[in-house]
This record gives sequence, structure tokens and C-alpha cells, in this order.
Amino acid sequence: MNDLLIPVLLILLAPIIGGFIYGFERIIKARMQRRLGPPLLQPFFDFFKLADKRKMIVHSTHAFLGIMHFVSLWFALAILLLGGDLILVIFLHLLSTSLLILAGYSTRSIFSHLGANRTAISILCYEPVLILIAVSVFMITGSFDVASIFKYQEALLFKMPLAFIALLLVLPIKLKKSPFDVAEAHQELTGGVEIEFSGIFYEAIYTAKWIDYMFCYTLVYLFGANNPLLGIGLVFFVFFYINALDNSTARVNYKQMLRFSLLVALPIAFINLLLTILQSS
Amino acid sequence: MADIILLLYFGLMAILRKSWLVGLLTILQVAAFAYIHSTIPGEEGMQFMVDKLSVFMFLLINVISSIIAIYSIRYIDEEDCSVFRKKYFLSILFWFIAVMNLVVSSDNLEYFFLFFELTTLASFLFIGFRKDETSVKNAITALWMNQIGGLAILSAIFTISYNGFGEATFSNLLAHASAPGILLPLAFLCVAALIKGAQMPFSKWLLGAMVAPTPVSALLHSSTMVKIAPFIILRLSPALKDTPVASVIIGLTGFVFVTAAIAALSQDYFKRILAYSTISLLALMIMMGAVGTPISIMVALILIFFHGISKCMLFLNAGVLEKVFHLKHASDMDKIGDAGPFTSFIVIIGFMSLLLPPFGAFIGKWFSIETLGSFALQQKLLGAMVIVAIAGGGAILSLLYFKVLGILIARNGSRDTIKFEKINPFYSGTIYILLGLVLTSILSFPFLLANYFVPVASQTLGSIIEVRTEGWNLHIGTLSLSFVPLLIAFVLFPLTIIVAMFIQFKNVDRAKEYMCGEKIDYSFSSFYFTVDRAIPYFSVIGILFFVALIAVALL
Repeated sequence: MNDLLIPVLLILLAPIIGGFIYGFERIIKARMQRRLGPPLLQPFFDFFKLADKRKMIVHSTHAFLGIMHFVSLWFALAILLLGGDLILVIFLHLLSTSLLILAGYSTRSIFSHLGANRTAISILCYEPVLILIAVSVFMITGSFDVASIFKYQEALLFKMPLAFIALLLVLPIKLKKSPFDVAEAHQELTGGVEIEFSGIFYEAIYTAKWIDYMFCYTLVYLFGANNPLLGIGLVFFVFFYINALDNSTARVNYKQMLRFSLLVALPIAFINLLLTILQSS
Repeated sequence: MADIILLLYFGLMAILRKSWLVGLLTILQVAAFAYIHSTIPGEEGMQFMVDKLSVFMFLLINVISSIIAIYSIRYIDEEDCSVFRKKYFLSILFWFIAVMNLVVSSDNLEYFFLFFELTTLASFLFIGFRKDETSVKNAITALWMNQIGGLAILSAIFTISYNGFGEATFSNLLAHASAPGILLPLAFLCVAALIKGAQMPFSKWLLGAMVAPTPVSALLHSSTMVKIAPFIILRLSPALKDTPVASVIIGLTGFVFVTAAIAALSQDYFKRILAYSTISLLALMIMMGAVGTPISIMVALILIFFHGISKCMLFLNAGVLEKVFHLKHASDMDKIGDAGPFTSFIVIIGFMSLLLPPFGAFIGKWFSIETLGSFALQQKLLGAMVIVAIAGGGAILSLLYFKVLGILIARNGSRDTIKFEKINPFYSGTIYILLGLVLTSILSFPFLLANYFVPVASQTLGSIIEVRTEGWNLHIGTLSLSFVPLLIAFVLFPLTIIVAMFIQFKNVDRAKEYMCGEKIDYSFSSFYFTVDRAIPYFSVIGILFFVALIAVALL
């Protein structure tokens, strides 16, 4: 019963925790730029303000897909936290992102369309790497279940450090952080897929991002899963790393991003997979 | 006797169409055939073997092909040709279905050769049906490529008797599974399978088949002709398992899985997109057959089954798009969501049934990664590379499907109501039947898994696969499946997309899209990879794989 309590609580509170992560992130980023930054609760103030706006949509298909993106992402996170199958979790995450892509394609808006194109490309950048990491986990623990990582006596970080590096390389793509924020690219695409959502419907996309934070940091936590202190330390490290990176780099274009991911991140994940295979047999 | 008439016909075609390649191959085949007949005493009586795998194929072939047959009655009526040609077309179609049934039930390799060559002949006649220049050219390409497959089967028969294994039958081959020297005939049969399955250097014939009338593409692609490839591999899988030949096949198909997916991304012609994705998924099926563990055999069967239904639905719809809406290119289809909601709805379901959780390809991709995990423990480097191929290729394929789905789901902001268009009952009726098939097979998927796929797989493999339910988990062999997340995913994704097409929010204002205040003509486009320069290299690598396949078997 106790085993189930923490995951269930985390799942239920996921949007709120994610919101706090986002608020904290804004403060950290501001401090890095020697600004004061907004209050910690600013994401939630924004949330309530958005709920109050006049409801406007382009068409219903588009708005509905946005909402379902949020729901299915939450569902993927729930499976991850409940210790489900890692490959299934990655696929579900992919599918929930693809609902957002479909939403982007469904309107006749240039920005939204370009954003959808680029989101699709970014899936190609991070998904193979994540799957390779998942297979490496299988090589070490002998099971694809997330629960088995918790049962395993050693921390994954020390068993497969290369996988962690590969994850560090693709996480900015997944979280749409600079230098890989091509999918959002506020200056050129004005938010990409997000642009056509507004008011209460934008809320779904907005909160989905918070859930995405939870999802990514849970993946990071898995690398120190059997030792909570190590896990939380890793999460904090990655959090600062991502924000420092976001603040200090300029955006690359999507071709460079694809090249980077396929020529740097994927080979690292591949070598890691080979090493884990050799270790386990 | 029939073989000789067939080969004579091929010879005649070679002279008429002035193709030295076909002529050469025919001469080689005749020589090989004559030699085999002079050295091996002829067996008496027909030799057929019908096991569960054959029955599985019967069911698929006959159900899908008969749906296609009904559809083609209407389709061929709209074709611009004489009444005689129309009747001729339908009669080849029925004859082809009969031949397909014989292919999957023949045990004797000589008969198998005959039926294999008859399917080749059928594809030759089908592809050349429209009689224009490209049709004739592509028909010849299909002929000579598949003749190489025929030649490979003859070589297999020859090597079996040369190495003294006795009769050239599938069952005899499997009985000698671990004997030295068995690899060579196996490798030859696999070459035949890979050619029929249009793997990389031979992918051209299947792409060329796109010029034929649409029911033909559906027939060749979805359920029947190309499925001979995974069928042969599945038949041979107990003997193939853990041999170097299997390793080469796995390497080749892993390579084809990725490259065909990339090639599909570069296409705009709707039927060619489908063709490349067929090649890619066929590669996955063949790979799973060659891996040969209980789970992988089951995955191969699931893929064959679901791919058959989904691709058939997509091709029949491609025909509707072509005949009713005069659309052939994916990039022209961005208004189909408004003009033909029913058609776009069905195409969307078709693509979803290749991609999303409840359906076969999702399960196939998912299970295949999990089985390859265990495979990689034995075949270290190869295993790791194949996993990369599956991971990358899978991502590319889903990119492809979502690209096309995105085009189909696009609609104008101004109109939110949906009214289904009326199309000919022959078209809509067959499509409804397929839709029903898809839906029932999803709803009964756990049942199908335990009572249909697993028995077939266990008989094919010759060992019993354990199935049991424990609480909310279904255990099949070493694999355990949790029902709850799957069930929710089953409901969530397809339903979302279907509902998204019909939902209408009330009391919400409509706004125009944001254009920075500019007035621009909006033209829909998507990303393409240009791979034209890379394709020759793909073919070269594919040929190297085929050479490696024979070389490995010889050593």
C-alpha cells in the first residue's frame, strides 16, 4: 500500500509540482541574468488569468487535440510513475506529442504548421536515443519494467554513465530549451504549435509543459532510483544544467539539431548499449 | 508439364518485349529445371501440407482478396478499356487468388516453384494491364526480379538432392534442420522470399506495381503476394533460428526497415508512400520470423494479420481518392477533410491502425524491441545494431504516418459541421466490411492473441508456448503484458483522433489564424527528405547483403 501511495500522490499532484518547477525555473533563469524574476507562484497566477479570458478557437478539432495532448501526457506520466513498461511509456509519450503535432497541422496557420514540422523532427532526434537507453536498462536489470530499476541494487548512473550523458544531450530537445528550442522558437515562429491556442484551451498546452517537466525529471531520477538522495541530487544537477544551457546558448537550426542528435547523441547511446550487452552476458 | 508451358510463355514474352534479361533467366531456369528432372526421379502424387500456418494464411488471403474482388467489380467498370479486357482482369484476379491458396499449402518444393512462378506471372499480367509504356516496362522489371527468386528455388531443390537430403520438401528440410550443408538450400529459399518481399535491391518491382489499377496494388501489397516472404521465413524459422543465415537476414531487414522508412518520407505520390511503408513493415515481419523465438514468431503473425487488413483498407481508399476525388499526391489532399470527410476519416483510421496502440504495428514494434533485447544477448554487435535500426526506423515511420495524418486532418476554420459524402456502394460497402474487421479484431485482441496467434506460432515453431492470465497480467512465454495501461491506451488515442474529427464546441467564438497581420496565400506543405542520391548506395548495400547471405551459407 505504501509503495503505491507516493506514486499516486505524485501523479495527482503532477501539474502542481510541475508548476512549481516552472516557477522555480523562471526565478533561477532570471537570477542567472541578474534579474529579480517573477514570484514563485507566477505560473499559477498566469493559469488563473488565462482561465478568465474570452474563449476563442480556430476550430474544434484543433482545440480538442490540444486538450487530449495534455490528458495523454498525464497518462504516460502515470504509467511511468506506477512502474510500467519503459518502452510503452516512451511510445505513449511519443503518441501524446504527436497529438500536438496533429493539432499543429490541422489549422491553416503558417507558424503552427512550421512548429508542427519541427516538433516532428525533434521526435526523430530524441526518441531513438530514449529507446536505446531503455534497452540498456533491460540489459542491466533484465526487465523493461520501471519497477525493476527500483529493485535493482545498484544505481544505474554508475552502471551506464554514457546513457546518462546521452540523456543529457537529448533532454534540451525534449524540453524545448535553447540551443534546441527550434520547435517553439519565439522570435521566429512565435511559439510554433502553441500560437493558435488561446484562453482556457491554451491552458491545456501550458499545463502539459509542466507535466513534461515531471516526465523528464522522473527519467533523470531513475538513474539514481535505488538511492533517493542520489536521485534528487541528479535531478537538481540536471535542472541547473538545463537552465544554464538555456541561458548561455543561441538557437541552432533544425538541421543542425538533427545532425547533432544522430551523429553525437545516438552513437553515444549505441556505445552504451554495446557496453551493457557485453557486461550482462 | 505446367512448369514447361509457363517457362515457354516467359520465353515468348522475352522475345516479344525484347528483354534479354528475362530471356537469359528463362534459359537458366529451363536448364536448371531440365537438369533437376533428369537427375532426380520424379515423385508420384501431389504433396501438399496444410498446417495451422497455412490455415492462417488461407483465412487472411481469402477474406482480404474477396473484399478486393468485390471492390474491383466497380473499379474496373470505371477503367477506360474494352469489355473483354475488364472480364480478363477479373478472371486473372480470381485465378491469382486460387494460386495464392496453393502457394501456402504446397509442401513439395517443385510445386512450390510452379506456384511461385505463377504468382510472378500474375503480377506480370496485372502490372502490364494498362498497356502503356511505363506499365510494360515495370511489368518486365517485376518479371525478371521475381524470376531470380524462381531460380533461387530451383537452386534450393538442386542443392537438397545434391547434398543427399532426399526429397525436396519443406517438411523434409525441417527434419534435417541441424544437418551440415542444410544452410545452402535454406539460404536459397530465403533469397526467393526476400525478393518476393521486395527487400532493398529488389524493391523496384513493388514500387513499379503502383502503375497498375488500384485493386492490384492492394492485392499485391496488403494481404497476399508479398506475404509469401514472411510465410517462407516462418515456415523455415525452426531450421533458420540461430544460424549465420538468420543473422544476415536480420541485418538486411534491419537495414531495409530504416531505409525504406526514410525513402517513404521523401515521397509525395500517395501509393508510393504506402508502398515504401509496406516494404518497411515487411522487413520487420521477416526479421521477426528469422529471430525465431516464440514471441517473435507471434509478433510476425500479428503484423501479417493487421498489416493485411490496414493496408488493404488504405489501398482501397487510395483508389477512391483517385477515382472519385482525382487525387494522387499527398500534398494535394489538404482539402479532403472538407471535401470528403468520410474518405478522409477512413484513411485516418487506416493509418491509425498501422500506428496507434490497439492495433498491430504498435504491438509489433513494441514486442519486437522487447524480443530483440534478449536476441542482443546472444548476437552482441548485430543485436545492438538491429535495435538501433528498429528504434530509428520506428521513429521515422511514425513521423511519416503523422505527416500524412496531419494533411488529412487539416480543415478550414470557417466550417465546423461535417456531412459525409455519398460514394458508390461497392466502394463504401467494402470499406465498411474492412472497418468492421479492424474494429472486431481490436475488441477481441486479447482473445485473438491467446487463442489464435499463439497456437499458430507454437505449431510453426514445434514447441508449446505457455499462456496464462495472472490478475491483470497476461503472460505469454517470457513476456508479460499488463492489461490496464494497454486498455486505457486503446481507448485514449484512436478515440481521441476520431472524436477530434467530429467534436464541436458550443458557445466558443471562432478566430482567424494569426499571420502577423500580413495577408499571405497559404499553401500547405510538409517536410521531405531527398534521398534520390542515396538510393543507389542503398541498393549496393542490399546486394552486398544478398551476396553475404549466400557466402555465409556456403562456408
